[in-house]
Amino acid sequence: MKKPFLQAILIVGSFFLVWFLLNQISWMQLFEVEENGIRTEEKLGELYWKSLQSSEIEVSNKTILNSVDSIIERICETNGLNIDDFKVHILQNSQVNAFALPGGHMIIYTGLITHNENQDAVTGVICHELAHIELNHVMKKLVKEIGLSALLSATSGSGGEVIKEGSKILSSLAFDRSLEKEADIKAIEYLKNANINPEPLANFLYLLAGEETGLLESLEWISTHPVSKERAEYIIAEIDNEQEYSSAISNSTWRALKIEIQELD
Amino acid sequence: MIATKEFDYEPGEHESEKASNSYLMSLVAIIAGLPLPIVNLIATFAFYMGNRNGTYFVRWHCTQALLSQISMLFVNSYGFWWSVSIAFKAEEITNKYIAFILAAIIFNLAEFIATVYTAIQTRKGKHVTWWFYSEITNLICKAEK
Repeated sequence: MKKPFLQAILIVGSFFLVWFLLNQISWMQLFEVEENGIRTEEKLGELYWKSLQSSEIEVSNKTILNSVDSIIERICETNGLNIDDFKVHILQNSQVNAFALPGGHMIIYTGLITHNENQDAVTGVICHELAHIELNHVMKKLVKEIGLSALLSATSGSGGEVIKEGSKILSSLAFDRSLEKEADIKAIEYLKNANINPEPLANFLYLLAGEETGLLESLEWISTHPVSKERAEYIIAEIDNEQEYSSAISNSTWRALKIEIQELD
Repeated sequence: MIATKEFDYEPGEHESEKASNSYLMSLVAIIAGLPLPIVNLIATFAFYMGNRNGTYFVRWHCTQALLSQISMLFVNSYGFWWSVSIAFKAEEITNKYIAFILAAIIFNLAEFIATVYTAIQTRKGKHVTWWFYSEITNLICKAEK
């Protein structure tokens, strides 16, 4: 019995040895896996954006665009992020929403700005979406919901339905609880580095929690994303009371931004 | 790794054909069962069950064919579910994954070539024994007294 036992160890060992030796070669570089992934993501991002662009109205008002750009610039500069990696689009829609698309596209609905009295809360939401992009959550979510093969077929031009389905998934708040929390924590880090108070973001989430139905709150455990109240609580826990904060844009710019959006409606 | 040895007796034409078929069974099942690694094991097992009361030569080779399938099942199943989690879940393609799949392909290819060779030789009535698997087969398969 001793001989077969040794032979079994040798066979298993030889497999692991071959695996180990093959692992020494950089296949990712050789097959350009990351480059191909980035190309696919960019292509998907363009497709999703075009699909949204055809059904929604994009804001082209300079005051609005410049104000939002100033907010993003402040976050990027203070956090070492490359502003060119993000393509921000503002859409005229009363829904209180902002979401990320593949390829660094970020969609902000005007409803998010009109619904918020405090600009730091909007900055917080933007930081949250930037975090989703930076942490590669968007592709993870799409692959999980739609599947890699379906996404690849969409990039080859044969998946109109996949694009529609993906847009629906991305605009809903269906990120995993762990991914949402990860993005929240990263957003607080961005805000703190930019000297922007995270508290208004927490207050905004409390406000959303108040608007959520009692049913959703009681079924918290089956929800795919953390209930806003729970998120607000861990944001508050991260706040450093010693830090001195200042908003990303001046109050007058913020007021001008709100007026311009109201005029659009 | 593979050796042709003297068997206890000279197998007949019918025996050689059945013994050789046990290897062919696993080959045919590899093609049918590529997406699901368990399929070729089930096919070989079914053939084994059908021939477990056969002559010693047939039983011996059916057992060796079955055992060789079991070891690859672990590697293939692991690779299969790893691939599924990349295609449908949030798992990402890593260097480790590519290396594993390549190692699995090398081992499967080696097993495929060995199986084809053994099927041909067994059909000629030769007793082909595989390193390790023949030892286990000898422990499981006892000659009729």
